[in-house]
Amino acid sequence: MKKIMIKITLALLTLMLVTGCSTTEIDDTEDDTLTVAMELAYPPFETKDDQGNPTGISVDLAKAFGQYIGKDVEIVNTAWDGLIPSLQTSTADMVISSMTITDERAEIVDFSNPYANSLLAILANKDANITSIDDLNQEGKKVAVKIGSTGYIYAQKYLTNAEIIGLSDESACVTEVIQGKADGFLYDQLTIYRNYIANQDTTDAIFIPFQDTESWGVAVKKGNTELLTQLNDFIAEYQANGGFDELTEKYLKDEKAAFDELGFKWFFDLDDSNE
Amino acid sequence: MSNPFLIKKDEKPSVAKIMFNIVLVALIIYLIFYFSLKVLGIVLDFSFVIVMRTRIFDGFIMTIIISILSLIISLAIGIVIAMGKGSSLLVFRYFSNAYVQFIRGTPLIMQIYLFYYIVGTAWGISNRILAGVVILSIFEGAYIAEIIRGSLLSLDQKQIEAARAVGFNKKQIIKIVILPQMMARTLPALTGQFASIIKDSSLLSLIAVIELMQTFREITAGNYNFFGGYIFLGCLYLILTLPISYISSRLEKSFAYEN
Amino acid sequence: MKIKLEKISKSFNSEQIVLSDVNLDDDIQTLAIIGPSGGGKSTLLRIVGGLLYPDAGQLLIDDKLVTFNEKELLQYRKELGFVFQNGGLFFHLTALENITVPLVKVHHYTQKEADKLAIELLTRFGLKDDMYKRPAELSGGQQQRVAIVRAVAAKPKMILLDEPTSALDPEYTNEVLDTINELKKEGMSFIIVTHEIGFARQGCEKVAFLKDGKLMEYGLSEEVFTNPKTKELQQFLSKLLEWN
Repeated sequence: MKKIMIKITLALLTLMLVTGCSTTEIDDTEDDTLTVAMELAYPPFETKDDQGNPTGISVDLAKAFGQYIGKDVEIVNTAWDGLIPSLQTSTADMVISSMTITDERAEIVDFSNPYANSLLAILANKDANITSIDDLNQEGKKVAVKIGSTGYIYAQKYLTNAEIIGLSDESACVTEVIQGKADGFLYDQLTIYRNYIANQDTTDAIFIPFQDTESWGVAVKKGNTELLTQLNDFIAEYQANGGFDELTEKYLKDEKAAFDELGFKWFFDLDDSNE
Repeated sequence: MSNPFLIKKDEKPSVAKIMFNIVLVALIIYLIFYFSLKVLGIVLDFSFVIVMRTRIFDGFIMTIIISILSLIISLAIGIVIAMGKGSSLLVFRYFSNAYVQFIRGTPLIMQIYLFYYIVGTAWGISNRILAGVVILSIFEGAYIAEIIRGSLLSLDQKQIEAARAVGFNKKQIIKIVILPQMMARTLPALTGQFASIIKDSSLLSLIAVIELMQTFREITAGNYNFFGGYIFLGCLYLILTLPISYISSRLEKSFAYEN
Repeated sequence: MKIKLEKISKSFNSEQIVLSDVNLDDDIQTLAIIGPSGGGKSTLLRIVGGLLYPDAGQLLIDDKLVTFNEKELLQYRKELGFVFQNGGLFFHLTALENITVPLVKVHHYTQKEADKLAIELLTRFGLKDDMYKRPAELSGGQQQRVAIVRAVAAKPKMILLDEPTSALDPEYTNEVLDTINELKKEGMSFIIVTHEIGFARQGCEKVAFLKDGKLMEYGLSEEVFTNPKTKELQQFLSKLLEWN
């Protein structure tokens, strides 16, 4: 009996050692399909049409890129938290989901060159007396943020006096502000603006910039330099051919007009952006 | 020499045999995880546990507190509703039925949003933890009501007849016969329900109650270490639920005297 | 004990007539109630035991009217002992507790007195070694004997037994009937519903034959069994004795 047990243990150990020495990884960049992951909960960038099909700015961008490199594009709806893991596990080739380029994220994934600007803004409850970011950074103030977003990162770092409420949905954050359960919601300008317009009785939008401009990039698995190069070339060309202007015209006409009036830099206006 | 992997029909395996096979299973599970992660190119990193130990501990305690409070309140709700279902006051009976149907027929996620953002706001409940405990209790109460009702109905009528024959009055029948027998029937199922409460409490993360799940969501959102994070989270929940399962099966055995 | 049944009737669900117009007036020491299944025997026993309410008629015990409401019946039941066909012992209590708990809670014995009496009785009937066992750990015969001890412990006026051996394996029947016989010799009076015709005939002074809810024959066992008057009883007896 002892003999058999020893033999088995040795066999298992050998198995472990042998497989531990090889490096097998799934490699599917030879496919003809480009798998693009995004969270379809962020109109008009990533959303669904009435039939439930993916639609939006990022979807159009992904399809344009697919055409550019001659591959079919498959859009995979993924929860925000699952976007980076999907790259880590190679279940997606790239992520176009209005994701801000940050140093922390850049350690885990590789980002393309920026394709849009984003600045944080505040959606405040009308009765909360918030006029600037400092008003939010007070003891007793409650700040709603979407977990994992740059608003969340900013709040954790800088709004140390306030109570931070981390929720998984943007809509939950907006609801909390409307109901007064939170004093402010920290998120990108465009979304804040749109939600303010939809809830003018209960909310205010604060656009005073309080941080350096951030940019959005396309994320790919770390080390995927081939895809990255293709993306950067594509972005430059798309920009030069007025592709972004077309997108603006199609999806964000009113918002551009409002931003122009407020004197804000437009999303796709990358000329003065620094990395 | 007996086969180290198999046991004969009524054989009780020796300690050595048990240990050997447990180690074998642990090894198999480890190997499955190890290969899966290797193939995906992922390296597990648990160093965050040290760095984040205070937050993890706080989240763990909060889960325990919420679960215990919910257990107590849902038990109370369950008893009331179980009695209500058999009540001769029709309003009480119909309400109890509707309550159980609704709560058991809809997902907890939906109930959390419904009760917190709609009902809770209307009634001015702003404390998240309080709201969370209330919502969880209302949810689990419906399930507990069914457990209690089931055991009430399964009571042997002959026992009650014997109790009357022996001369017990109504109070005595309840105290000496019904309650002890019901405890025997419900206790194992109730402990199982406690494990459910602990797991279901993780959904309170949706309204940002800082319990274990929310704590890990926040931590992994910052360090992008999803795999290490969620594997460790799983282990923490197991630390809570495994002892409960064990107690539940011990209770079942000790109350098996009816057979 | 003097028992008087006057026009006792009972039906279930207002459709099924179980007992119809049962009349009896006698001083009973030991009585067997026999008859085909569904004839109303168990129902009659339960009415006499105060466990079921008759729809019509009266019951008088020792010339006193038995009032059928829970409050009065509670007192009434304390003076009787009941043994069920099966499932009568409380299965979450030990054999000993099954006997002592009623003694303490209903008959106000002290715990010490109850323990002493219970142990005495159990020892007498050879159940001492099984005292601390729960009913599930006892054989059918042992369970019924414990049930009988429980019924007689508080020295009731009479014990009522509802087919105490019907659910038992044949090998246990005798030990139970022997126990009842022992008690009879000590002066215990009882009414027993049974299919054990031998016991009915030899162990019981009087017998009542119930069929289709009617009391068809009644009298001293000696006489009734040797000379059954009604056709129904004759048929019943001949059928029973077919395989004997």
